[in-house]
Amino acid sequence: MVGRILQFILYPLVALAIGVFFLGLARKITARIQWRYGPPLVQPVIDMIRLFYQKSVSHGPVFAVGLIMSLAGSIVVVLFLPFGSICPLSGSGGLLVVLYVMLLAPMGIALSGGQGANPNISIGISRKLILALGYEVPFLLVLLTVMTHYNTISIVQVVEAQRDIGWSIASLPLFLSGVSYLLILPAMLGFRPFDVSTAPQEISSGPLVEYGGKYLLMATIEHALLLFIDIALFVNLFLGGAGNPIIFFVKMLIVFVLVLFIHAAFPRLRIEQAIRYLWKWPTALALAGLIIVTIGRS
Amino acid sequence: MKPQLILLIAFGGAFLTYIFGKISSKLRDGAAVAISLALVAIFACLYGRPLQESFYWGFLGLNLSLRLDALSWFFAIAIVSLGALSIIFSLRYMRDRERTDFYYSMMLMVNAAMLGIVLSNDLISFYIFWEMMSWCTFLLISYNQHRALDAGMKYIIMSMIGSVAMLAGILSLYVSFDTLLIPQIASSLATASPGYVLFVLVIFGIAFGIKNAIMPLHTWLPDSYAEAPSPFTAVLSGMLTRMGVYGLLLITYVIGGMIGGTGLGSNVSKFNYVLAWLGALTIVVPTFIAMLQNDAKQLLAWHGIGQGGYMVLGIGFGVATANSLALAGGIFHTLNHAIYIVLLFMSVAAVQYRTGGVRDLNSLGGLVARMPVAFVGALLGISGLIGLPLTNGFVSKWMIYKALIIEGHPFLAFAALIGTWGTILSVYKFLHNMYLGQLPEKYKHLEKSPFSMQLPIAVLSSAVVLFGILPGIPLRVINKICTWLGFSSLDVTIWGFTSETGTLNTINLLAAIVVVSAVVWVLFHRAAKSVVVAQDDNYAAGAYVPRDKYHYTAGFYEPLFTMLRPYLRDVVDEFYTALAGAVRKSCGAVRRIYTGDVGNYVTYIILFLASLILVQLRWRPW
Repeated sequence: MVGRILQFILYPLVALAIGVFFLGLARKITARIQWRYGPPLVQPVIDMIRLFYQKSVSHGPVFAVGLIMSLAGSIVVVLFLPFGSICPLSGSGGLLVVLYVMLLAPMGIALSGGQGANPNISIGISRKLILALGYEVPFLLVLLTVMTHYNTISIVQVVEAQRDIGWSIASLPLFLSGVSYLLILPAMLGFRPFDVSTAPQEISSGPLVEYGGKYLLMATIEHALLLFIDIALFVNLFLGGAGNPIIFFVKMLIVFVLVLFIHAAFPRLRIEQAIRYLWKWPTALALAGLIIVTIGRS
Repeated sequence: MKPQLILLIAFGGAFLTYIFGKISSKLRDGAAVAISLALVAIFACLYGRPLQESFYWGFLGLNLSLRLDALSWFFAIAIVSLGALSIIFSLRYMRDRERTDFYYSMMLMVNAAMLGIVLSNDLISFYIFWEMMSWCTFLLISYNQHRALDAGMKYIIMSMIGSVAMLAGILSLYVSFDTLLIPQIASSLATASPGYVLFVLVIFGIAFGIKNAIMPLHTWLPDSYAEAPSPFTAVLSGMLTRMGVYGLLLITYVIGGMIGGTGLGSNVSKFNYVLAWLGALTIVVPTFIAMLQNDAKQLLAWHGIGQGGYMVLGIGFGVATANSLALAGGIFHTLNHAIYIVLLFMSVAAVQYRTGGVRDLNSLGGLVARMPVAFVGALLGISGLIGLPLTNGFVSKWMIYKALIIEGHPFLAFAALIGTWGTILSVYKFLHNMYLGQLPEKYKHLEKSPFSMQLPIAVLSSAVVLFGILPGIPLRVINKICTWLGFSSLDVTIWGFTSETGTLNTINLLAAIVVVSAVVWVLFHRAAKSVVVAQDDNYAAGAYVPRDKYHYTAGFYEPLFTMLRPYLRDVVDEFYTALAGAVRKSCGAVRRIYTGDVGNYVTYIILFLASLILVQLRWRPW
């Protein structure tokens, strides 16, 4: 019982630590690829502590409630994802619930941002939601392929099944889905070439533009957790999860660095180019995977 | 209590309200509220007490009878509760309008007719009440005149096509089995030929499909929802349209013996597969069309069609594969949808009432500061519509998805899931453009919505959350319906489900979300304080921003629209409109023959006779 409670408390903190580490790593690696020195790895931590003590402006209760909802939603999703052998909320609805709880984060940001009447926010949110529709099409196809292939909606069972028969990404139909997931991962994480919604030079970071102090802190934490969630989900579904957290972390790190290489090298797409891309190759691959799995099943 | 007494109260109440209205408007309002609340009380007391068939009248040698079982109780309680809330909502909304006596009595009449439908035990009563409902609906849709007349006309024509199909089906059943009592038809149909069963399914499927606005029979719905008076739109969207779902369930009951069977059952399965795919189509297309709408009520109306798709998908798939999870999901979604769509229409109506009928999304904004209760209603309503966890819509959608995935139909599941993501885009626009963002100068001093509007909104908001956290309450009743329909029973607990391939446990979810939110909230409050500033302070940095000059929410999804617009035409509606135009034209051409000149008519007759003679002389056919 005590161990379980400890899991509930420690696991989100570990996830947050990994997410924040990734934020720092992202800046460092991008800088090195671009022949700059870059900020120290702990820079995000320093920033977060500063933001905690900094005064900020607000636009009323919805401004805060939306952010709280968004952050809470992200933390709850973390509790659903197996991390090595740790999974606090394993039997409460599985992947379908994860899919829906994942909605709370963008919805919360959109709700909160909507309260600040700034054109940059409106543009940013509009782009974010359109982009989400763009990557959700292949993403849902990928998840359905996995659920149909293993005939379960529980992530824990997917991980267990891979222990016996090897990584999903090594088998044919799921290989296509895995590649598709990798192709949309930058869009899900809001990295280049898909950083249309938070484009700093173009719309002043979009939805984040009115945030300062603790509001920006919460948005940063939310982003850090998002990095953890999307990559951990990939590792669980396609790279066989892991028996212990260290190996799990290593797998996550490799996937994240892959995404970073793309991030550092590519320029930003326009939103309609992004949608056109997302609905072409990743969707085609995911669809092919789903068709093969469905035919194989019946 | 006998069912005919309930109907007597319901119909009598409608007439009494009209008469009271001639005496005093206060008396009329009181009577309308009292009658609708009395009906709620009656049905609440009848929980778990089925009333057996009772014959109330003979008609042309047929016995007309009524009954109350789990299915009718479930629909009846939803009808009377939502009806009562809409009547309460109407009190302020309809004040100072003309023909209110007529409006109230028609509202009660529609409710009574719907009660009649769900209580009917034979098809003649069913048909009579169905027609009463359709005609009362027509009158109420056209209440606002002008464009509403067209909408009403569209509705009644589609509705009549459905009625004629149903009448043909009823006559054929009577000729075949010599009875119109539903239980007797169910036992007779079990021995009928597969072809005949399919005929019955298709012809009643058309009738109920039109009412439930399944694509491609949906075209009456958007205009009717948008043009009807808003409190009636609530009734129309909540329960009236869903009489189609009730009809589908009734079909399921009638063919109960054939579900999941081989041979005979295969036609039933095929029909229901088609129904499930139509449901999937009905989910996807309208959801994307909804994104293009700028009229709040039109937007919700398209979602009304789309959400109907989930019910049809759940029920169709459940029957096709004898899966009680999908069936229960479909039935549960009917109730959930009714709750949140009524809530959403009421929240739009509250804004309409205060702004003088504005429902154009591009000209509203920032109303959260002026109408907080309506905002909370809208927020919970869209959460339910999307199906966010801890709202009722989540549970029913989860049930449908899970059944589809476990049974191995990922493409149907994909249609259902992508519908949800399309929904997010349009409902966020709905919420944002009405309640968030800039408050236009002219709405700076808007008053709060009156209590009689806040009350129904508050009741429905709490229902959205209650059924999301404790889905077991309605699911127990639904489970009874499923077993009554001949399906296996589900392991329902008060918090969700227990089963081997994946469980749903809303208490874990609730606990996690509440605890985590509390922790985040505490952290948030430990951090340095924030100051509330005016919305454009940061952005303009003190510079002057012209008021009301720019509206940042107009054309919210423009990049997506330019991509999608060519594909998102309502082709079906265009086809029907073209058909109507062609019929009108050809009728016009035929009309030209009738010149009104006797000489011409004589010429026609002589020409006709001459041609007959020519034919006879040339080919000698006679």
